[in-house]
Amino acid sequence: MKVPDVFSYSFSAIKLRKLRAALTTLGVVIGIAAIVALLSITQGLQVTITDQLERGLAADTLIIVPGSNALGGGAGDGGGFGGGIAGGGSTSAPLYVNYTSEIDALSPNIVTSLAIIQKSGYLQNSANESKRANSIIGVNFTQYANAYSTTFVAASGSVPMNPSDSDVVVGARVSDPRLNGTLFVQADEDVSIIWTNNTIIPFANETYTAHISAVLDRIGGFGVGGPSDTGIYVPLSQAEKFFGTDEADMIIVKLKSSDAAVINSTSKAITDYFGNQVSVISATAVQSLLSTIFSTVSLFLGGIAAISLLVAGIGIMNIMIVSLIERTREIGILKALGMKSRTVLYIFLTESIIIGLIGAVIGIASGWVLANVVALVLGRGGLIGSALTITPILTPEVLFGALGFGIGVSVIFAAYPAWRASKLKPVEALRYE
Amino acid sequence: MATVVEAVNLKKTYMLGKIPVEALRGVNLKVEKGDFLAILGPSGSGKSTLLNLIGALDKPTAGKLSIDDVDVSTLNDNQLADLRLRIGFVFQFFNLIPRFTAKYNVELSMSIKGRNKAERQKRAEELLGTVGLKERINHKPAELSGGQQQRVAIARALANDPRFLLMDEPTGNIDSKTAEEVMSLVKKINEKGVTIIMVTHDQRLASEAKRTVHMIDGVITSDMVN
Repeated sequence: MKVPDVFSYSFSAIKLRKLRAALTTLGVVIGIAAIVALLSITQGLQVTITDQLERGLAADTLIIVPGSNALGGGAGDGGGFGGGIAGGGSTSAPLYVNYTSEIDALSPNIVTSLAIIQKSGYLQNSANESKRANSIIGVNFTQYANAYSTTFVAASGSVPMNPSDSDVVVGARVSDPRLNGTLFVQADEDVSIIWTNNTIIPFANETYTAHISAVLDRIGGFGVGGPSDTGIYVPLSQAEKFFGTDEADMIIVKLKSSDAAVINSTSKAITDYFGNQVSVISATAVQSLLSTIFSTVSLFLGGIAAISLLVAGIGIMNIMIVSLIERTREIGILKALGMKSRTVLYIFLTESIIIGLIGAVIGIASGWVLANVVALVLGRGGLIGSALTITPILTPEVLFGALGFGIGVSVIFAAYPAWRASKLKPVEALRYE
Repeated sequence: MATVVEAVNLKKTYMLGKIPVEALRGVNLKVEKGDFLAILGPSGSGKSTLLNLIGALDKPTAGKLSIDDVDVSTLNDNQLADLRLRIGFVFQFFNLIPRFTAKYNVELSMSIKGRNKAERQKRAEELLGTVGLKERINHKPAELSGGQQQRVAIARALANDPRFLLMDEPTGNIDSKTAEEVMSLVKKINEKGVTIIMVTHDQRLASEAKRTVHMIDGVITSDMVN
């Protein structure tokens, strides 16, 4: 029997039981759609996060945080990604603000280093409305502007290079939280910065009046170490006074180049100098960590989705066995007419290939639609933080993988019924009522 | 004359549970080209078993069976299937495939042989014309009477130019008037030179053949020319 004839024969058998075939196919559709939707969203999320991170984390900077295992550490206060990184640490010696001069001397590859003190508190505008502020950041404005010359840039007002204690610079989303023009604070406004001092008992709210000298341009991204849209920047000396500490939450090291060799040797020099009591985070390290996390997540989600495909496969097997029993006599006729056993096998396998193919194609399409709908909902609802917009990505690997997987599962589960059909003895099959 | 089927001391034993049943106990038979043979016997005489063997649907337990000069006992399943392409089956219950039209049912046996579509369609139309169903080629079996279905089955059996037609109670499931029509068609086909072997328990039907063999209890008891 010729291949097109096998195909049209199989197709005629599927057409005969339309509803049954549709339901069997639906199983494959659901499985494939789940896989495609989850993987394309995960991939889109990975690209978004990596992209955001790249904006906040310059490739030629290192971040030193206290604690020996910051990248694997638990969450800390301070909020956001930066807080999480800064929080961990099993063995930890404090980093002091004045360590920067020693760090500068460690390697010729270091351009400059700057200390950051970061606390959370409240910001009260001139109308006496207050908002929680996760990142009140004490930093040397001049150095910071040098290190982040593209992002620490004023949109209105100007960043003072010799700030007075009351000067403050705020991120775009501090001024315009919803980015819709409804301003909470603006440049040249007098505001109050409130911090709950938890180093004394009972805790006490401390307040000082500050003057917004600049609102930054919109940056996007997480701003690990680097400027962020939600940051409130105060001069380092004021932060030391106000928070009553000279312990830095992180020290940012600006390098001469973003070469992997430079990053590695400088990182090692710093950790060695501090006797492994600090962690040095580089953009590349964070990216490789993220990519590890995402491949694990993809595998996990893909695995869950694959279970639904497995269920679909069992459905196919079930329906094929029913079909083979119903068609026992037909198989007997075909064999009496001279059809070989292997052709009977091909006919049944082709039926499963058709179901798998149709299911996979519809599944990929609906998975893609689903991914876009989910991305839209997440983007609009701001569930992950409205800084993120996810664009689902359907890579060729996922596309062809899903196609192959859909067909493969169908064929594997149809193999046994098809084999049984092919082994039917013509005499017995013809006698079957 | 060429020999189409030759059976020498043919035996077939079935296992019915644990009890062996000797369905054929030494059958000797020779069918020449152009013959029209009726195998007549009551149920349980072994005629269906003989039909299955001659149809290359099953293999003998002992003895020798040659179909178209091929010794059946040496063949594997694939070779048996190939041999069946040279045999035209006509069954009591027609055994058409319900979802296909008359035309495609006839085409099917040619499709199995691997003949191309245009050739198949032309031949199917011709054959259905020959059996008098020119107007009903696009009807499905359910839309045809028993006699018409059997004529489609005969057309299908003839499609691959078989060495012989093997008929199992071809009129067993149709009324007597239609049966006569079918039998005159069968005779006409035989007159054109097609060898026919027909299994039946109906004496009257057997008398239509050129030659009748009687079977009782797994052996041939008589062999006579009508």
